[in-house]
Amino acid sequence: MAEAPMLRVENLNVLYGDFQILWDVSMTVGAKEVVAVLGPNGSGKSTVLKAIMGLTPVRSGKIIFEGEDLTKVPTHEMVARGISMVLERRRLFGAMTVRENILLGAYHRSVNKNTASRLEWVESLFPILAERRDQIAGRMSGGEQQMVAIARSLMSRPRLLLMDEPYLGLAPRIVSQIASIIQRINQEGISVVFNEQNVHLSFGVSHRGYLLESGRMMLTGTGEEMIHSDVIRRVYLGV
Amino acid sequence: MTFSLFIEQIINGLIIGSMYALVGSGIALIYGTMRVLNLAHGEFYMLGGYLVFFLVVTCGVPAYLAIPIALLAAFLLGALIQRLTIHYLLQREGWAFSTIAVTLGLSIFLQNSALLLFGENVQSVPYYVTGIVEFAGVRIPMQRLLILGVAILTIAVMTYVLKATRLGWAIRATSQDRDAAAVVGIPASRIYLITFGIAAALGAIAAAMMAPIYAITPWSGLPILFKGFVVVILGGLGSFPGAIVGGLLLGVVEAVGVQLTSTEWRDVIAFALMIAVIWVRPWGLFGSKS
Amino acid sequence: MFEPLRPWQWLLVAITLAALAALPLLSSNSYVLHVLILSMIFGIFASAWNLVTGFAGLKTFGHHAFFGIGAYSSALVALHSGLSPWLTIWIAALIATVAGLFIGLPILRIRSMPHVAIVTLGFAEIVRITISNLQSITRGELGLWGIPPFESFTLPVLGEMKFTPADKAGYYYLILVLLVFSTGLITLLMRSKSGLALVAMRDAEDAAESLGVNLTRHKLLVFGVSAFLVGLAGAFFGHYIGILTPSAAVGPDLMILVIAMALVGGLGTLSGPLVGALVLTCVVELLRDLNDLRLLIYGAIIITVVMFLPKGLATLGPLVRRRITYLRAPTTSPAKHL
Ligand SMILES: Nc1ncnc2c1ncn2[C@@H]1O[C@H](COP(=O)(O)OP(=O)(O)O)[C@@H](O)[C@H]1O
Ligand SMILES: [Mg+2]
Repeated sequence: MAEAPMLRVENLNVLYGDFQILWDVSMTVGAKEVVAVLGPNGSGKSTVLKAIMGLTPVRSGKIIFEGEDLTKVPTHEMVARGISMVLERRRLFGAMTVRENILLGAYHRSVNKNTASRLEWVESLFPILAERRDQIAGRMSGGEQQMVAIARSLMSRPRLLLMDEPYLGLAPRIVSQIASIIQRINQEGISVVFNEQNVHLSFGVSHRGYLLESGRMMLTGTGEEMIHSDVIRRVYLGV
Repeated sequence: MTFSLFIEQIINGLIIGSMYALVGSGIALIYGTMRVLNLAHGEFYMLGGYLVFFLVVTCGVPAYLAIPIALLAAFLLGALIQRLTIHYLLQREGWAFSTIAVTLGLSIFLQNSALLLFGENVQSVPYYVTGIVEFAGVRIPMQRLLILGVAILTIAVMTYVLKATRLGWAIRATSQDRDAAAVVGIPASRIYLITFGIAAALGAIAAAMMAPIYAITPWSGLPILFKGFVVVILGGLGSFPGAIVGGLLLGVVEAVGVQLTSTEWRDVIAFALMIAVIWVRPWGLFGSKS
Repeated sequence: MFEPLRPWQWLLVAITLAALAALPLLSSNSYVLHVLILSMIFGIFASAWNLVTGFAGLKTFGHHAFFGIGAYSSALVALHSGLSPWLTIWIAALIATVAGLFIGLPILRIRSMPHVAIVTLGFAEIVRITISNLQSITRGELGLWGIPPFESFTLPVLGEMKFTPADKAGYYYLILVLLVFSTGLITLLMRSKSGLALVAMRDAEDAAESLGVNLTRHKLLVFGVSAFLVGLAGAFFGHYIGILTPSAAVGPDLMILVIAMALVGGLGTLSGPLVGALVLTCVVELLRDLNDLRLLIYGAIIITVVMFLPKGLATLGPLVRRRITYLRAPTTSPAKHL
């Protein structure tokens, strides 16, 4: 890659107490790229995304986004940097309405101008949410909640969107719907990094992937390369 | 007892209950947003009372000026205390207990600071308004009606703030999910600071309104703290509307209970009600089990 | 996990005990004895509170109820039935245990720490107000006086054990024995299978539950033992002081003092509450002239310890520091209160 990547993670180490969760993790994400982070449950996928977002303290290593080191930037300033995130299990504001949830996505001062046009754009991606706008978010189905969560994260018009297991707990029909939404988002010029346990699900939409095992990056490559790799077979099939 | 006297007692219960509601809603806001049980909340009430006393009686400031100044001072004090103690504890392990313990320490510290500053004499403030309203044989002093009016106004303002302002949205979002709120750009620590200040000010409003009818002493915080606890248990710990309803309910139950027994048992009635509610509906009378 | 003491630690315990036992022989200064007697009463109280709060992880704030129940029960039974205090203190401890089980049961249904704190505080207030209101029996805030003292008796080496305000040696030895009894009971409890389960539930209630540990039984056991010991300390206190008022025997100030002791010494340690009780009782006595500042200083001490010495003085000494730890389990972070 000639151009510097949009996001460069270098030798990231994360500990919870005395427990090391990530070991020298490195990865890159280019502009307008979709990258999947794969790995079994507990391998540290969420921790990688949380560390980028500042939700988890970093022991050492660098997280360079568009030339700036993010390791000291607090979570609530990430939106202003152009990064947004869909948390694992959606984490909506369950007692608030769909509309309130979505509007909160544009809470930060750096993105709270032109709210109407942002809302219009987001609702064009998810027409159903315009119909459901007064519904209490916590009472919706899992698939609808995931849409609200994505819609909320898009209100700030990020350049990089982090998605923690966007398919988790969803019916297959909904999964393919979410997958096509990820492609739509990417077509709008937004880079996406998402986590997934299932190898086959993740390569439907991503350009490249990384494989995490026990907090270490084991492998990177295109979907084709990775699916046929021995490492994947060892990690997933225990061969 | 005549029927109109009974009605009078119920109305008085509602009026006192509206003050319980203000104190309880402060405890609920703090718990709701940062999951901290504030054992020093009664002292915000107590200090609010002394601030008003100091301004009105000692300095001769008119009440309509003194009360807003007292509220502002209480807000700043609450925010400062949060910043110096809770703020750090929340970042450590074991915060659920350490925050309770530190507010316990703060409670006696503030109580005894007031004792040093103001002495143990019972203080009070003259009525803000005089006169009695009579309607169908029911007689209510204007002062008590003023209390009710201020309580309703405060609750209306708070409801508006929570529902319709940027700050209110941020408070509600943070209380529902702090991480998700941070992701959309809401700084939890600032929201906590402001919430603590608001809660302290709510306690001070109650104190300002009660100052003419209940004596101010360094120890007046503790009983009102206990009342606030009963209120938040009735309404569901952490729920603002629950605390309002819980406060009014407690006021009325106490008024009726005292009629049936005697004044000394007022607090026992309140606590028994609370333990009964915890026993059958630990999530409060109005909330839902989640 | 409460592994047996190492030889040098046994030695330290033995020397401390010997010194404590020899003290009245060396000094008959009744003021010194008085301070130590109070330290030991509070030592039992603080250890028993720590048993529930520090070891079992049930954060209660209403243990002064059991102290008051113990104190008043023993005093009233001794006054009205003519039974000897030697017997009534145990009856009172059992009454406190029953009260403990009574309030313990609803608490066990509650997972949320603030709810437990509120209920226990409320329960203690009910007890205090009730004692205060039942003036025909307790004389309320006027004070219950004329509480019979322990009968004296004669020991082979030490001579006659008297229980009078002038000669405190009898009280001193009795409370020393009760303190050893209480500390031994707590140690045995923590070393038992229950102890393991207790610590497990403190650190990870869900994990312990998924392992099939019956928490309810263990929690009730701890609560009962704790209430028993606090009741015993309260009963002794009544006969020792000779006069009881609701605010002195069941007031929130008492609980605050005990919490401060446990925090200062180190919550979740065996010797911490004992050290804390000794230190703070001495501080109280030193501050006798500054009576108005006493509570102010407690408040400041609690705040300072919580903010800067989260493990109390336990941070300072290895014997005290032996904090029991449970195998690492994922704990919820404050960030996620869902
Ligand atoms: N708050 C936490 N405290 C302690 N350990 C944690 C915490 N969060 C996650 N872990 C541990 O970190 C490891 C990686 O977790 P995570 O990043 O959530 O994995 P994944 O998303 O791949 O399932 C797991 O072993 C998990 O138990
Ligand atoms: Mg995960």
